This record gives sequence, structure tokens and C-alpha cells, in this order.
Amino acid sequence: MHPLWNELRRAIPLIVHQNQYVMNVTWTTIRVALVSTGCALALGMPIALTIGLGRFRGRRVLHILANASLALPPVLVGVWVLVFLVPHAPFGSLRYANTLTAVYIAQTVLALPFMVALVPAAIQALPPGLLDQARAFGASRRQLSMLALREARIGVLVAVIAALASTLTEVAAVIIVGGNQVDIDQTLASAIVEQIGNGTTTYALALGIVLLALVLVLMAVLTALQQFSGGIHLRFRTTS
Amino acid sequence: MKLVWDEFRDAVPLVFHGNPYLGSIIWFTVQVAVVATAIAALIGLPIALAIGLGRFRGRRVLHVLANAGLAVPPVLVGLLLYLLFVPTGPLGSLHLVLTRRSVFIAQTILAIPYVVALSAAAIQGLPPGLLNQARAFGASRVQLSVLALREARIGVIAALIAALGSTLSEVGAMVVVGGNLYGYDQTLAGAALFEGNAEHYEDAIAIGYVLMVLIFIAMCALGLLQQRGGGIRMRFRPAR
Repeated sequence: MHPLWNELRRAIPLIVHQNQYVMNVTWTTIRVALVSTGCALALGMPIALTIGLGRFRGRRVLHILANASLALPPVLVGVWVLVFLVPHAPFGSLRYANTLTAVYIAQTVLALPFMVALVPAAIQALPPGLLDQARAFGASRRQLSMLALREARIGVLVAVIAALASTLTEVAAVIIVGGNQVDIDQTLASAIVEQIGNGTTTYALALGIVLLALVLVLMAVLTALQQFSGGIHLRFRTTS
Repeated sequence: MKLVWDEFRDAVPLVFHGNPYLGSIIWFTVQVAVVATAIAALIGLPIALAIGLGRFRGRRVLHVLANAGLAVPPVLVGLLLYLLFVPTGPLGSLHLVLTRRSVFIAQTILAIPYVVALSAAAIQGLPPGLLNQARAFGASRVQLSVLALREARIGVIAALIAALGSTLSEVGAMVVVGGNLYGYDQTLAGAALFEGNAEHYEDAIAIGYVLMVLIFIAMCALGLLQQRGGGIRMRFRPAR
């Protein structure tokens, strides 16, 4: 047990004294998580609303596809995004390969399924009378969307948190499209892979502790939300 | 677009010409997926049954822990195993770092939370009268477990699907503890990461196809099982 304990004793000061490297990686990670989740939210919301509220043919097929996209291996997403970004590819002239922008793009693609699959599920779980009534009262499409999002807000928040958690902890796509370069596009998770490869376990441990802390905070928020939503649900049930 | 298409076309022969390198990776991946999911089911289902059927203190805490386990970043699992398995670590004498065995262990540990959390939820979702009636008729613990598993079959199989999917496509843990060594302990996802990183796009894409096909086959096989389970459940419902 001794060497492990020593590692831990050396790793803690790296965090407490705000080691430059650890801080940089942490900020990059938080930025990547926020930016890509934000982009996924903006891109995914119209699709999610279409699937959740629309009444056209093929809506169920779309929802099944959206659910299936949750199972997409991140490695594949990484490879496909990279194939479009390398110098000779369609978007190669933008020179995004091996940059932070490429990481943003790949992570957005990975966060999108959470919005597209979880938000419609939350909308469809609303009491059916609610939306029908709004429709009967002549709500416009925009009003209906606003109503659905407001009522399903807990589900939307859960989707956002799931997307944040996945972007925080993703390794494969980040390494493939970004090349895992120190101080450019390395995130906590991919930095751990590199530090273990280098044999600098102390840094890996410090980064691991920070990552764990971030994930724990997210999970605490999620649990609190779910408790809260349980309450709301109950109140709603009794009146219906 | 031409380049993207070329990559696509060049990848196809790699799959069909039975590249021995690809063949050995596929075989290893299938082994890892099947063995890891099976062991995870062996370990996880009893725990899920205890959570779902047991009436002891701390049952809810266990369920919350299992749910939290779903959110643990694979990289952190890899880091933890690495620290345990390095020669100077507590389990260093087992010589597991950078071996195929460590890949099996890592993927099994990642699969367990899926089995436990999702199966327990499925068992808890059973109509409460069913289990109480069985208890009242004096069903033994084994009989009760078999009944619960049979009735919650849809959810249990969904849990196994999720577990299998994660063992097929997860890289974070195995890259750290197994080292993702070329020609030795690479799974398909690990190999795609390796080739993508080395900018061998045809290889990465070819491996990606195979991975997708494998995931698709696994999902279809288990999905069929699930459908058959659905029939049984439907028959049960009207009698209630």
C-alpha cells in the first residue's frame, strides 16, 4: 500500500497549489464541456421538439434512430469527424484537424444524441391532456414548444447533465480528432491516458481526482433534480 | 467529398480480404465482449436481485451507488486498476498491467453497473402484487428470484444489451490499464483509436465498420430475445 499512498501524497499538492498544467487542463475540459453541450443544445432542440411534438409519419422511426445514436461508439464518431477535417477532405481548408475546434465539433456530435433522444422522451412523458388542450386552445407551434419545454424542463436538464458528463469524460474522440496535444486540446480524461503512458502516475492521479470531483458535482445535481422531479410528478398525478 | 468516398471505398476490401490482423482483433473483441458481459451478469444479477427483492436496510443506498457507478468515467476505472496492478501496487504481484487479462477485467468492471442498475430498476418496476403473492404462497428465495428475472426479462435483457454495448465500444479503461498494444491486447475500438491517431484512416474506418456490424448483430440478437419476452409479459398483464 505504501507506494500508492506516496503517490496520493504527492498528487494532492498539485491540486491544492494549483499546478499550472493541472489548471490548464481543467479549464480546457470545462470549456469543451460547456461549449459542446451548448452547441448540442442549440442544434438538438429543434430536432428534439420535432420528434417530441410533431405528428407526421416516420416520427417513431426518427425517435428509434435518435435512441440508437446513443449507442454510437465515440471512436467511430472521432474517426468520421476527422475524415471530414483532414487537409484534403471537404472541410480540410478550414484547417481544423488537431485543433481545439475539432474537439468542440466531435464533442458536439457526441452530445447531440442525448438531446435528441432524452428530450423527446421527456416531452412524450408529459400528461397527454396538457398538450392536446393547448392545441385545442389554438396555441401556435412556438407557444406549444415553449409550453412543452417548460413542463418537461427537468427532463431537459437531465439531458444537459448527461451531455455534460459525457463530454467531460470522453477520451476516444478527443484523442483522435485533437491528437491529445498538451496545452492545446487536451482534456482531463485524455491527459490521464497520456500521463499513464508517460509513467507520470502522480499527475495522472491529480487529474483523476479533479475529474472525479467534477463528475461527482454533476451527479449530485442530477440526483437532487431527480428527487425534486419526483415531488413535482406526485403533485401532478393527484390532480389529474 | 471525393476523399471521404475514397477512404470509404479503400476500407471495404480490408474487411473482406480477411486481413489476419483484423481477424485477430475481431476475435479478441468478441471474446472480451462475451466474457466480460457474462461475468458482469454473474456478479451483477445477484446484486440486482438483492436490491430489487431484498427488504434490508441500505437497499436504496446500494441502488443509488449502482446508478452512480454508471457515471464513473472509464478513464478513472482504468487509472484505479492501473494503480492497483502496477508492480509496486497492492496487487502488483499478479502482473496484470499491459496484459490481455487486464482488458477483460477493465471491461467487466465497466459492465457491472449497467447490469446492476438497469436490472434492479426493471425488477422494482414489476407489479408489486406478483412478488407478494409468490411470497405468500411460500416461494423460496431461489423461486422468487427466478420468477422476478423471468417477469422482468425485458429490462434485464436491456441491461445486458447496454453492458454488451459498453464492452464493445468503451476504450477509456482498457487503453490505460492494457496499454492498447498493437497486435496484442487491442479491441476493435482500441485499434480504431490507434489507427485514427496514426492517421491510417482506411484502417480506422474499416475497423469502425466491423465494430458497427458487431454492435448491430449484438443488439439485434438480444432485441429478438426481448421481443419474445414481450409476448409473455403481454399474456400476463390481462390476468391482473
